[in-house]
Amino acid sequence: MENKPSVWTSNRFWRRSATWVTGVSAVLLILLTVDSMSQMQMGTAKDIQNKVDKRIPSPLVINYKIDYQLSPKRGHEVPIIGGMDANGKSKYEEKEKFFGRDDYTEEEARALIHKGKLTIQAKNCMDCHTLLGNGAYYAPDLTKAWLDPAWNVIGQGYGGKEYAMAAFLQNPPAMAMHERKMPNLGITKDEAKAVVAYLKFMSAIDTNGFPRNFGKIKGAVNARK
Amino acid sequence: MIEPCTDVVCSFWSILNQGPMTLTITLHTLIILPMIWIYFDEKRKMEQGDIPNE
Repeated sequence: MENKPSVWTSNRFWRRSATWVTGVSAVLLILLTVDSMSQMQMGTAKDIQNKVDKRIPSPLVINYKIDYQLSPKRGHEVPIIGGMDANGKSKYEEKEKFFGRDDYTEEEARALIHKGKLTIQAKNCMDCHTLLGNGAYYAPDLTKAWLDPAWNVIGQGYGGKEYAMAAFLQNPPAMAMHERKMPNLGITKDEAKAVVAYLKFMSAIDTNGFPRNFGKIKGAVNARK
Repeated sequence: MIEPCTDVVCSFWSILNQGPMTLTITLHTLIILPMIWIYFDEKRKMEQGDIPNE
């Protein structure tokens, strides 16, 4: 019987297979990157006018009331901006005063959120906190911190939760709420306002239900009784 | 297998990723089927003596 060469031991076969796998994977990665890029783009004022939900909304959401509701269709909680219509979608109607205003222009809102982001980076909040999945779990996850109902209660004594959050940021030890006390990081009044704006904006980002079980934490939005 | 898109911004990829296994099966089809085709193609060529045995 003739000793036929096996294709499995052929260099040419493996070379061709490797070229194919690498080529197809590269094309797929490029397509997925293009697809992700379009979804990661920040929404615009026009989206809010047209009531179009974007994964990352326009900075103008700081003018609106933000809620976090279970979407039965998607199986997790989603941000609801400006109230909910009959279909459980954002209505972009219900405004909410943020430091006494609900008429921030897109430029103003963007500048405020940007300053907040820079402050969070400068103070290295991720050393203890988690933001959108990045950071430590020593201190509470800040991704939906704005929606934490504890602030509604504390905020009553400050004339609004944004004031309470800003006051806390400027001198955390004075308003300690947990065993693990946040240190005083020397955050100024302007910086505190910007950080709160950033946290409010971030709570409006659709994170596919991250952080998990946020709604089930005792005292949280839609907490299980 | 393909379920309605529930993503915020629907795309081909989000539809593909909705049902369990859809993305996996698609990607395997894209990679495994060509490999099977390459295998038999190379085997045929070797048996015909088109490729010198390395």
